[in-house]
Amino acid sequence: MDASSLAYLAAGLGAGFTVFGAGLGIGKLASAALEASGRQPEAAGDFRTTMIIAAALIEGVALFAAVICFVLTTK
Amino acid sequence: MAEQVTNHEIETNEHGHAESSAHTEKSQDVFSQLLNENIGDHHSLSFFGHGHLDLPKIFIDNGFHFYWNGNQMEEAGLFTEHHHHYVRTSDHKAPALDLSITSLVFFELLGAVLLFVVFKMVAGKYKKNPDKAPSGFQNLLEVVFTYVRDEIVRPNLPNDKVVNRLLPYFISLFFFILVLNLFGLIPGGHAATSNIAVTAALAITAFIVIQITAIKESGIGAWFHHLLGGAPWWLFPIMVPIEIISMFVKPFALTVRLFANMTAGHVVILSLIGLIFFFKTVFVAPVSVGFALFIYTLELLVAFIQAYVFTILTAVFVGLAIGDHSHEHEHADAH
Repeated sequence: MDASSLAYLAAGLGAGFTVFGAGLGIGKLASAALEASGRQPEAAGDFRTTMIIAAALIEGVALFAAVICFVLTTK
Repeated sequence: MAEQVTNHEIETNEHGHAESSAHTEKSQDVFSQLLNENIGDHHSLSFFGHGHLDLPKIFIDNGFHFYWNGNQMEEAGLFTEHHHHYVRTSDHKAPALDLSITSLVFFELLGAVLLFVVFKMVAGKYKKNPDKAPSGFQNLLEVVFTYVRDEIVRPNLPNDKVVNRLLPYFISLFFFILVLNLFGLIPGGHAATSNIAVTAALAITAFIVIQITAIKESGIGAWFHHLLGGAPWWLFPIMVPIEIISMFVKPFALTVRLFANMTAGHVVILSLIGLIFFFKTVFVAPVSVGFALFIYTLELLVAFIQAYVFTILTAVFVGLAIGDHSHEHEHADAH
């Protein structure tokens, strides 16, 4: 096994872990937002906006990791 | 005799093996070609392999050079194509500035012209009949326009003066990103937002808008004070670098978010289609096409969400850059 195949392995594992983390984060966020709008349906619109902003921030961090994985595959 | 046969068998086996590896190489070539054709930036527009439209070439190199297409450029003899790059004929080096219209630039310009024409048309309608209820396409644009104004811009900016001043920017930003994203979903089109240079340019304009509005609204003193982040003054060796980094991380995150979202969708669709070339059977096709269709509809959603996210995050950042010191006063009052 040479260095480039290790890089491919790292990229694949990294992409998997990225999805794991991002899925956990956005899942927790969505569950909290749903619970909140279940308790207070009249404020559902506000929760949705805040949720999308937070989801975008989580996604941004996940995408940084995905870009690193992508760079690894082109090594 | 037996030896010969085995030798022959080995040879055929080797031959067969070589052939199959050549096949896989070929299918990989097809895939990388597919990726390059659909995601890369090109000097011509292609119509599903049926003909090309060569785009104008513009160079600034000891003067201004403009050619309508590649043939005209080759005939003029100053510049030539070399490994998909344009170089000087004399020394095979890149010209000082290559402003050639590429396919992504073409779609950007098309988007800009389309938006200009559509909004001019609708604005004319409002001017002509200011008291009449909007009709047809005007209705659609009005709904999106008021949504951007009332749900994205207004809640995040401190007062109506700033809202009115920045609204044209946010409306253009939202519709421009949306149209560029949607161009990527038209067969034969390219999403200019799946190129990091385009999203970086959008984020740089956002950065300029954020900083200038912050300085204009709260003054240069408050802007410097903001670098402390509300911490005691003796923390400045830590706070100032952190605040400066966070100033630049915001547009960087905007850049990567839009770029990666748009590219990822295209790559997933092409990978699913590429599975057909890897397995080389027709039976994979229904699965691939089905999943590709699913991802395509998801991408339609993502095109709207990313335009929304880019605009709302820019609005939030503008609001943060302006409003921080007023929050500090609130905190000071509370203490």
